[in-house]
Amino acid sequence: YDACFTRWYSEKFLRGEKSNDCAELFKRYQTCLKKALKDKGLTKMIADARPAIGSVYQDDELDPDREKTQGSNKS
Amino acid sequence: MRLFEATHVFKHDWETVSLANWRKYPNDKTPHVRHVEVLNQDVDPETGVLRTERLIMVRQNVPTLLRKLFGGDASYVLEYSEVDPRQKSMMMQSQNMTFSNVLSVGEHILYKPDPDNLDHTQFIQSAQLKASTALCRLANKVEDMCWNRFKDNAQIGKLGLEQVVSKILAERQEMVMAQVVE
Repeated sequence: YDACFTRWYSEKFLRGEKSNDCAELFKRYQTCLKKALKDKGLTKMIADARPAIGSVYQDDELDPDREKTQGSNKS
Repeated sequence: MRLFEATHVFKHDWETVSLANWRKYPNDKTPHVRHVEVLNQDVDPETGVLRTERLIMVRQNVPTLLRKLFGGDASYVLEYSEVDPRQKSMMMQSQNMTFSNVLSVGEHILYKPDPDNLDHTQFIQSAQLKASTALCRLANKVEDMCWNRFKDNAQIGKLGLEQVVSKILAERQEMVMAQVVE
């Protein structure tokens, strides 16, 4: 995912081109990651730290069982 | 409470520096940063701003006093960032999560083109370190130690970024040479 992201970032994003090159990879990465975070018991710690950094993301982002599509509106 | 502030100018354009930021870890100049994972990342469809949330795992040698207070030498940091490709700004805000009841470290970073030379990038870093223990004198000592470590890490962080920028420039050079040969 990192390799795909850095390629997209320099070749598309910085040049103002809209594209979603890494969406599929990201989805698979996230599924794996979120399960690992839940197993390690880090989910609550992350949720608690969000207000301090002004993150736009919310608690339910970390629920691996919730159906999501990338690029959905995040409040 | 301790405040840390630093500014620096990287003699490279903002696009290159912002890319180097994403490719920064792992890096032999900053061995204390052990692991980085992307928790959330997307582009706001209305503003075109890239938003990212990352989990960073740090492990570094700490004085015994701190290790006893913190319960270990591994810690997690949460980072939120926004990159605006039209405004050419990259903003990052991070906060430690582990042992936050003992010490709070909040860091803000901004990369934008240097107003004095638009081919260069200005880096503005500020951080707040606050220890909370029952004994005021102990809190001061903890803050002092952590401020010094923060300053050292800030210095090697800059070296690390420069190293990644050099790597990117070398890769570009190779690509140009390869095209010439063809």
